[in-house]
Amino acid sequence: MPPSKTKSPVSKLAWRPAGVLALLFFIFFLTGKIRADEPGATNAVNWVVQATNQLGQWIWETNAFDKQTVRLWRAFEIPAGAKVTNATLHITVDNGYTLFLDGEEIGRGSDWRTVTEYDITQLLAPGRHVLAVEGFNDRLEGGLIFGLRVCSANRPMVEVRSDDFWRITAQTRRNWADKVLVAASHRAKIIGPMHSHPWEVWPYGIARVQPLQPVIVHFWQRGWVQLALLAVCAGAVLFCLWLWTQLSAQSKAQKFLQVERARIARDIHDDLGAQLTQLLLLGEVAQREQPEDSPARGQFTQICAGARELAHAMDEVVWAVNSRRDTVRDFTSYVCKYAQIFLSATAIRCRLDVEPEMPAAVFDLPVRRNLFLAVKEALNNAAKHSQAKELFLRIYRRGQKLSVVVEDDGQGFDPGAADAGRNGLMNMAQRMDEIGGTCGMSSQPGGGCLVIFTVPLAARRRHWFRRTETNGENAGPIEASEIHP
Amino acid sequence: MKPNVTAAAKPPVKVVLVEDKPGVRESWVKLINSLPGFNCVQTCASGEDALRVIPNVNPDVVLMDIFLPRMSGIECTARLKLQLPKIQILILTAVEDDELVFMALEAGADGYLLKRTTPEDLEAAMRDVLGGGAPMTSEIARRVVESFRRTGRQPKPDVRLSAREEEVLILLSKGYSNKEIAGQLSIGAETVGSHLKHIYEKMHVRSRAEAVARYMTGKA
Repeated sequence: MPPSKTKSPVSKLAWRPAGVLALLFFIFFLTGKIRADEPGATNAVNWVVQATNQLGQWIWETNAFDKQTVRLWRAFEIPAGAKVTNATLHITVDNGYTLFLDGEEIGRGSDWRTVTEYDITQLLAPGRHVLAVEGFNDRLEGGLIFGLRVCSANRPMVEVRSDDFWRITAQTRRNWADKVLVAASHRAKIIGPMHSHPWEVWPYGIARVQPLQPVIVHFWQRGWVQLALLAVCAGAVLFCLWLWTQLSAQSKAQKFLQVERARIARDIHDDLGAQLTQLLLLGEVAQREQPEDSPARGQFTQICAGARELAHAMDEVVWAVNSRRDTVRDFTSYVCKYAQIFLSATAIRCRLDVEPEMPAAVFDLPVRRNLFLAVKEALNNAAKHSQAKELFLRIYRRGQKLSVVVEDDGQGFDPGAADAGRNGLMNMAQRMDEIGGTCGMSSQPGGGCLVIFTVPLAARRRHWFRRTETNGENAGPIEASEIHP
Repeated sequence: MKPNVTAAAKPPVKVVLVEDKPGVRESWVKLINSLPGFNCVQTCASGEDALRVIPNVNPDVVLMDIFLPRMSGIECTARLKLQLPKIQILILTAVEDDELVFMALEAGADGYLLKRTTPEDLEAAMRDVLGGGAPMTSEIARRVVESFRRTGRQPKPDVRLSAREEEVLILLSKGYSNKEIAGQLSIGAETVGSHLKHIYEKMHVRSRAEAVARYMTGKA
């Protein structure tokens, strides 16, 4: 509320009558001077006449008290199809306000003694709009005085003034100024027209604000777009996480498989193998206890031979299953050993030509198994058909490839006339196909036969990966750990 | 080979068996005793047992299981060879694992046998090592060559392969038999055998320093 300025100095100085008049004069002069300094004060009279046409009445909550916040709310409509050429808004609140249009803050004021003029032409489109004022009263009386004139083709179209159609809401939620008044509300109370008590001389000036421009909100600044972007990002992160868990689950499964294979190999070896060895020994002992030419001795011999074959077959299974044997080096030594043992029963001498220092690089089960079976097939063919004296088994690396060559000096054959089914070429080619390798054969009658198998070796990266795995594995499977005290 | 003739006249070959499984041990004993001229004088159930018993018995041949509880057959071999360099040790293994066999040979074993070997092969192998021979498969020969090359230039000649020895090893690794090698190099078959014996010895010498470090430090 306005302070009563004029009385107190006079009463204070009343005992000095000579100076009172002079002082009064001086004060009037001074206040007049101050008024003249206020912006727009020079045309104060013009303004008052003009503004009265536009401004409504002082309105406020029924009860006014100190430090009071009042939320006033009013909706209006711009007719459809209308073109707004001018929209001017005047407002002041004793003592201060924050002004919202359609939920967006468009202005604030704390100098209640001047009315502020806002040009909101750019902000008004046809349709429903909402004005909201958060008024603050510091002391004594509070009030809002307001006027909005919207012109179309320079003729007034819509006018909103402060009157008792304004609603007052007790709502304190952040979006109270939005288009829909959610909470309970009641009408504002009219306190009086402009210049009514206690605002007889107030407001006395006008301040103009630059025409307000609508805030351009780019589509990517809109909430839903940002939300969508956030959702996409979150989705991507989740997808990555999912992929990662899948990958780790897979590698875990792979590891598990390795360990399981080693365990199976160990079980076969430990349980079956030990039992079989014992059986074999018992058989040998029993056989020796029989008289030289008894039929039982012959039967024991057969049992022992069968057990030996069984042990041999078991070895092959253990070799295939054991993940510890998944290396090129192990494959090489196994194939060489097999060839020597296999050919020792034939007239063919087995010669080995193996590259020294074969790496301990990974050689996965399907690859080594298929390659082994293919080589076995080639050896079988040589033993059956070649009538060779010598057979060379050559194993070497070329870049990231491993080649196994089975070469004999036998009678050879005409590859064109050869029945692919008979010589197992198709079988071998199929095996190589399965593991991404190749199989080649060259032969001519009387010129021996050469079969070459080439398979890709695993990349270095996996080599490293496996190395760590194999290291971890050593603790469990096959008694390797027992060797190192 | 003469042993068959002399076996009757000579005292039987003293064999000690180191094997932890009682059933298997019994069968082995019966099998060894059934061979003419061989006598299994003692059995040990563990490597520790073997180290305690064998120096007193002083056998001609020790048959050593590779997988023993606690101290492995390989470690036991290394320790025995340090005490009794003249003793002949044959490693018994259920599976043909080159890595293990090679380790055993480096530790001082004089040969190895598969457990499911025939009694005839067992006898032949024992006679072989007693007669100063040293059987070696092509796979092991390849590894020996590799291992000697890997160690590179050794300062002492007694731990380096001679040119002839390397020749023998390479031919062996290519699948030639001792007889064929003898033919190729125009030497006697016994000479091939003694070359191999020397190679084994060099392996032992080479690995002994290592073995001392590996098995003896802070233990014995």
